[in-house]
Amino acid sequence: MSWEFYLTVAAIILTALIGLPIGHAMLASSVFYLLLQGQDMSIAFEQMLTGLYGSYVLLAIPLFIFAADLMNVGSLSDRLLDFCKALVGRFRGGLGHVNVVSSLIFSGMSGSAIADAVGMGRIIINLMTKDGKYPGAYAGAITAASAIIGPIIPPSIPMVLFALVSDTSIGFLFLAGVAPGLILGVLLMATNAWQARVHNYPVEEPVPLRELPQITLRAIPALLMPVILLVGIYGGITTPTEAAALAALYAFVVSTVFYRSVSLREAYDTVRLSAKATASVGFLIAGALAFNYVVTIEQVPNVIRAALSGVELSRIGFLLLVNAMLLVLGCLLEANAILLVIVPIFLPTAVALGVDPVHFGVIVVVNTMIGLATPPYGLLLFVVTSITRAPIRDTIRHLLPFLALMIAGLLIITLLPDIVLWLPRLYGYTG
Amino acid sequence: MTPASRFASRARALAEAVPAILLAMMFVSFIIQVFMRYVVGSPVGWTVEVCVMAWLWILLWGQSVSAREEDEIRFDILYGAVSPQWRRRFRLTFSVLLVGIYAWSLPALWDFVTFMKIQKTTYLDIRFNWVYSIAILFSVASILRYLRIFWASARGSGEPKDGTDTVTRADFNA
Repeated sequence: MSWEFYLTVAAIILTALIGLPIGHAMLASSVFYLLLQGQDMSIAFEQMLTGLYGSYVLLAIPLFIFAADLMNVGSLSDRLLDFCKALVGRFRGGLGHVNVVSSLIFSGMSGSAIADAVGMGRIIINLMTKDGKYPGAYAGAITAASAIIGPIIPPSIPMVLFALVSDTSIGFLFLAGVAPGLILGVLLMATNAWQARVHNYPVEEPVPLRELPQITLRAIPALLMPVILLVGIYGGITTPTEAAALAALYAFVVSTVFYRSVSLREAYDTVRLSAKATASVGFLIAGALAFNYVVTIEQVPNVIRAALSGVELSRIGFLLLVNAMLLVLGCLLEANAILLVIVPIFLPTAVALGVDPVHFGVIVVVNTMIGLATPPYGLLLFVVTSITRAPIRDTIRHLLPFLALMIAGLLIITLLPDIVLWLPRLYGYTG
Repeated sequence: MTPASRFASRARALAEAVPAILLAMMFVSFIIQVFMRYVVGSPVGWTVEVCVMAWLWILLWGQSVSAREEDEIRFDILYGAVSPQWRRRFRLTFSVLLVGIYAWSLPALWDFVTFMKIQKTTYLDIRFNWVYSIAILFSVASILRYLRIFWASARGSGEPKDGTDTVTRADFNA
């Protein structure tokens, strides 16, 4: 790796630290690298343009964002919440359980932790803190923790990104996330039950069981969404990208035609906001594409692999090392930046050590999602505190037991690849 | 509302309508694509081209022409913690750097984009210099935008709203 490369990395870090948007920091620094190398400066733009133009899978991202936004504007989220309340609200710490279960289902539609936290999260935080039943900090903490599961359960935008950099099948990656997502969900509910006992959180008035069928019926349009997506993708009917479009169409039809809860004005605003969110996320990818060119030219993966091969790591040792590094990086870096820039560096070594790429993908995604909720740089943490207005310090204190169990879950997922891979294998994955 | 500010808010609404319309186009094309393949049984290819072009334009337009300072994804550990005085110095520094590097590379970018007229897209036969022209627009708009940030910071105004909202709005994906 040349001195120009180190200077480029330093430029990215320094400009990002003083507040330049991260996408610009990566793109501009890559141009700067070409300038230092005396190469044609348009190469960085060319890499960005051809990369964006050629990556069909990425089109799933705007469509999933759009679908999730539509669901939050329409009343799908509310109906789903009523259903979860009837189902698990009757236990101690009931609304905490509702929070987790609704995240599990909602994540079957949106593929985005942040969309989950802003949409469902906001509604449920209001429910939890109304009449001072739960402290705002606890409501925020469990919302952040349960939103982590979102992108682990399919569909998942981070997994689309991983598939892009690793050439792994999106379908198998999605399937591989199911079992780990459920395990983490159970762990979260266990933590919630324990915390509810410690802090003596209230038991909700149970919803009479005879009302359950009607509430379920009302929620069916929302519950059908994950089914449509999964059948579409695994029935071999649609590509994941097309499934995302169908999900958006479905949400659109249900909320405008069926429930009539969205006006034309709101529909336009939803499109506008989704386009905006798409641009912010997409530009980060654009910057990463430019920087990836620099990383490739400098043969960074080879250098790292050579360095690692000298240490004689075992497979498990390597995975634990990667986990530790990603957890630390996740505290500091943005999740997409990690997926797009850091993962390609480790992937060749992982494959050389006989780690299954799909297993590796799930580990990385779980890891980066945990990173979203860890201080100091945790987007989820910022989102929930901006909703609860509780001091971030208190939220972190309530979040710690959840994080501890999530990391335990991550260890299980890392050490037992069969848990992750049994479902993809059932569908013909040979790994 | 003064005529100037009315014009500014119109222009902003118009600028924001572009990515919104593109996203709507992308959505409709996908539906047509799925419909043609699975219902009609004769797959079409142009829809994919419309989608990738819309995607490219949404990103680069949305991050230059219609971007708002407070929506950007930035790393605010340091930036959010220092005094407004230092934030102003930071903004002065990064805007100079960004304008410098984009302006320096603009001729090379121009050459690349205009050179791409030799290639056409597969289905719609659109020359790539038109498809990629958004990159030039992106570069010029970013230069102008960051010149304005520089100018505003130099005069001591134009502080973007800070706090948690700055970071949170931006990224809806992960």
